[in-house]
Amino acid sequence: MSKLIMFHAKECPHCKAMMPHVDRLEKEEKINFEKLEVWHDEKNADLMRSYRPVIAPKCGGQLRTPTFFSPDTSAVLCGEVPYEKLKEWALSQG
Amino acid sequence: MKKYWRCFVCCDIHYGVKPPEICPTCLVKNAYVEVSSEEAERIMRPTKTSMTRAEFRQAIERFAEKNEFQVCSDETKVETLFNGMFANEQNHGLKYCPCRLHTKDFAEDLKLVCPCNFIVHETYKGKEDGECWCGLFVRRKK
Repeated sequence: MSKLIMFHAKECPHCKAMMPHVDRLEKEEKINFEKLEVWHDEKNADLMRSYRPVIAPKCGGQLRTPTFFSPDTSAVLCGEVPYEKLKEWALSQG
Repeated sequence: MKKYWRCFVCCDIHYGVKPPEICPTCLVKNAYVEVSSEEAERIMRPTKTSMTRAEFRQAIERFAEKNEFQVCSDETKVETLFNGMFANEQNHGLKYCPCRLHTKDFAEDLKLVCPCNFIVHETYKGKEDGECWCGLFVRRKK
């Protein structure tokens, strides 16, 4: 399984809404997300910015939260999505 | 070549080949001096406001009242977003949207300051249940 990152922000309601989906996915599918908070942790923010050329074009030209990202495949999924969509995306990263 | 000019009376900034003869803000004649882009940016850079949360709430309500959108009715969500914006102002200088990360390109990041120009964004434009990126503003129900 390739490494999966969830870029999230502490005060972002969309991230809050996605957390239960992420927890469920981790539990049911044994998938692990590295959860990186970006507004209060500059190191995480810089890491997300370093992926801007890959992430932004797939997220309306911006660095939105939450963004699910696979550094190995450069696959990106951003915003609040249903559980099934997140699951399908995560499982397709191999 | 275009340059930055600053009115030495009122600090108005003009960008152009030549400065205006009369400052459109303070109406003083021949008051413009050439300044560097760094100085122009420093003068134009928005600064932290001393607005309280209640004042900011009032300001966005006023902003929304004459428009086709309104402030989200979910108070918990608004509270969360306010926490984010005020934390961002404290830590990063301006009330950046809590749902998008700033890029450190100042001109680009000004687009993230609340309220942003969300009426052209994909989350709002042409959508009956459109909302801004973070959901603070939602289209008013007809």
